[in-house]
Amino acid sequence: MPVGPRPPEVSVAGFAGPLDLLLELVEEKKLDIFTVRLGELADEYLARVRALAALPADEVSAFLYIASRLVLLKARSLLPSLTPLSDEDEGDTEEELRLRLIEYATTKGRAEALGDRLRAGDRAFHREGGTVDLPPKGGNPDALAAAWLKVLTLTRRTEEEVEVPGELYSVEQRTAEIEALVAEQPTVTFATLLGDRPTLGYAIVTFIALLDLYRRLVIDITQDELFGEIQVARKVRRMEGLPE
Amino acid sequence: MTRSVIAAAVEAVLFVAEKPVSRSELAKTIGAGAKAVGEALAELEEWYRGTGLRLQHEADDWQIVTAPEMAPYVATYLGADRLRLSSAALETLAVVAYRQPVTRAEVESIRGVNCDQTIYTLMSRRLIEELGRREAPGSPFEYGTTWEFLECFGLTSLDALPTVLSPEGVRAGEVVAGE
Repeated sequence: MPVGPRPPEVSVAGFAGPLDLLLELVEEKKLDIFTVRLGELADEYLARVRALAALPADEVSAFLYIASRLVLLKARSLLPSLTPLSDEDEGDTEEELRLRLIEYATTKGRAEALGDRLRAGDRAFHREGGTVDLPPKGGNPDALAAAWLKVLTLTRRTEEEVEVPGELYSVEQRTAEIEALVAEQPTVTFATLLGDRPTLGYAIVTFIALLDLYRRLVIDITQDELFGEIQVARKVRRMEGLPE
Repeated sequence: MTRSVIAAAVEAVLFVAEKPVSRSELAKTIGAGAKAVGEALAELEEWYRGTGLRLQHEADDWQIVTAPEMAPYVATYLGADRLRLSSAALETLAVVAYRQPVTRAEVESIRGVNCDQTIYTLMSRRLIEELGRREAPGSPFEYGTTWEFLECFGLTSLDALPTVLSPEGVRAGEVVAGE
């Protein structure tokens, strides 16, 4: 017997298995499952099995097994002298096969009842949710209030920052702005260039623009003390011969 | 009608539980006797009649679930897909549900076909599970249904399985399969 997943069960012409086929024959002919001579169905059964040529080997063998028993039952009814059986064949009586068929018919009925329930969709659901991590005990209401105030402050600031106009600055644009500014006035502080509440992007672009201007010898940068104000001054262009 | 304190306690514990809770665990948790908890469960079962909830139990494991009649609404809310099973899988499931504990060989004997695939499918959908090994040659696995099975079919317990009459009109379950 194969282990693990197998390809989906093949059912040809709608038969789920050999017993299903036999049951179908009984029902088609409107025969009583309790009194029908199963051997009489042998020929028809064989004819159906022959039509199932495409079945995989182990499926065919299951059909052929039932078929062979039906043929044996037929042979016995035709030749009563065959009836004495060895002990091995004791299980192959018509009654045993009939019981299996009845059991299968019951199973089919149950499967249909379950299928009906499934199709009706009347199912139950349980409560689904991750395990709750309970907070530690002994919370301090004052600490909570303080934290809330802090959050409020942060929120307010965020709202204001949102009002700062768009952050799409290019270094080129900023460089031109600063160059124009130092052309008008000899010195300007770095803080002035940044404005009141610079966004990170604005500060970076301004800084890079200053570095660029410094590299191109447009400006001088001085800082008198650590963390002191940075002075940005127009560079004196001696080459142009301008008097200081 | 008011509920007893024990019934209310049982309800509260089952409400937060994500899995079925055994009666003994309920008794231990609440600090009541198993008999009192049993009565409380019966009380709750009665109480839920006509509400959106049901008490479901598999053996002695209890769980609060939604009423099957409310399934469309709950399914919509959860965005749940409807379970689909092939007729072959349904047949195998029927054998397992009505005759558990049952071995694969027994299922195959009844259905007359190889059932590896359908058993695999039902196991992967958590509708059936291995209960243990039978003390028999080859120690084959015995299979039984799960509480997910009860839930998927809206059954409050295995006693609620639909009664299907066998062809001779005998209540299903009394028919013995020939091996």
